[in-house]
Amino acid sequence: MIELYHIWKQYQEGQWALTDISLYVKRGDFWFITGPSGSGKSTLLKIIFREILPTRGQIVVDSVNVLRLHDHKIYRLRRTMGIVFQDFRLLFHKKVFDNVALGLHVLGTPMKEIRRRVFNALRMVNLHQKMWEYPSHLSYGEQQRVAIARAVVNEPQILLADEPTGNLDPELAFEIISVFKEINKQGTTVIICSHDKELIRHFGDKILFLFKGKIIGKEVLPSSKN
Amino acid sequence: MNSLWQYRVRNIFSIGIICLSFLIVGIFFSLSNNLQYLANQLSENMVVVFFLDPGVSPQQLGLVEEKIKAAPAVIHLRYISREQALERFRKNFPELEEILKNLSSNPFPASFEATLRKEAFMSAEIPAFIRQVKGMAGVEDVQFNRDWVDKMQSLSRLAKAIGFLLGGILVLASFFIISNVIRLNVFARKNEIEILRLVGATNTFIRLPFLLEGLTLGILGSTLSLILLFLLVRLFPLYLGHSLGALQQMISFRYLSLAQSLGLIGGSALMGFMGSLTSLARFLKI
Repeated sequence: MIELYHIWKQYQEGQWALTDISLYVKRGDFWFITGPSGSGKSTLLKIIFREILPTRGQIVVDSVNVLRLHDHKIYRLRRTMGIVFQDFRLLFHKKVFDNVALGLHVLGTPMKEIRRRVFNALRMVNLHQKMWEYPSHLSYGEQQRVAIARAVVNEPQILLADEPTGNLDPELAFEIISVFKEINKQGTTVIICSHDKELIRHFGDKILFLFKGKIIGKEVLPSSKN
Repeated sequence: MNSLWQYRVRNIFSIGIICLSFLIVGIFFSLSNNLQYLANQLSENMVVVFFLDPGVSPQQLGLVEEKIKAAPAVIHLRYISREQALERFRKNFPELEEILKNLSSNPFPASFEATLRKEAFMSAEIPAFIRQVKGMAGVEDVQFNRDWVDKMQSLSRLAKAIGFLLGGILVLASFFIISNVIRLNVFARKNEIEILRLVGATNTFIRLPFLLEGLTLGILGSTLSLILLFLLVRLFPLYLGHSLGALQQMISFRYLSLAQSLGLIGGSALMGFMGSLTSLARFLKI
């Protein structure tokens, strides 16, 4: 599903954010990428969704060489992915419904279908009753669930999350990762960057450990379905 | 449309500037139209008056008449005797009757009034023909108002040129204002654009609302300017009514033609669209 071959990334001369990263993520996998701040987790994620380009290496997502993708065709890659951020990135002047519907509007989905899918996505994160509220009226945990609903509403093959629980207390963090687990059970490949050891210990079955841009370990627990 | 309302202060400001720019262009175009209309009015039924010498002999009179009648540009010729001229003056200016009573003799000369064909009026042969007739024995003077028409037409052309020049400068200013307003709107919606990119929006999907915004600003601004111009054209004669006096009957204030109005709206829409496009090309790297 996602193949990373010897990925190197340099932001400044002499400073490598990523060093020779290779990884193979199978369809339906649930991966945690962990490591301390500055270890390169977010950089790796950004390379996967083609926000930035690696300095060296190759990346293939669903048989498409991401580096050969023209700028004006990046949207095709993005439509196969859902992305969740630590800061939620919601539009606070739009209602919950409109925030979630955004990903469907860009696909030109008919309004009737948008209503159905937004409702289903919000029901999955247990927020369907707050569909017509503004994000500012919701708690942090609820806001993050809106962001997750937005990421999964167009049923992406891959769900990427960059520190999705970074702003949440442990209880809410567990709740959020449980939602990701549920989504993964339906066949979506999930990659989460997190430095929360407690969460990883509880939910992680495939874990990539990064330190200063290098892989210092990979762990595939026996409980992992793959 | 949401965004037009969301950032209404800056949008109203830019609509105001566009409106002002196009209003100035419109005023000059309208002025040019009016002058051109006036020139046309003057050239219609244009008459050349050949005043005759008081001592003109019947022979000379006959020669002059033949000469004028032979000119292809003349469609009608009328002889006005001295008595008829006096009578006409009495009729047109009854308040000056007293002055006429004090005169010992009739001061008005006899004349030939030649009506010219409209298309011949501005032709180069006319001055030569007038010169020839003027040089004939028995002809004292000629009255021909082509200079006025020439002046009207020159003024009309000047007004149009000023309209284009001033309009060009102002439209360019409007272009930069629209460009900057769109730039501000792009910055204000940076988050939204980023999210749209993340959820897989195409470049066209992201750019289209901004382009439509520029287009709408242009159309709204120029439409408003046409409405204001319409009011100006309607109200101006009312305001000037008394001072214009008899002229008011003659001058009918003209609005822009349909083609000119549509041209202004179209030009403004294009300017808004291009302003947006320039801004997006520079500030929305996607």
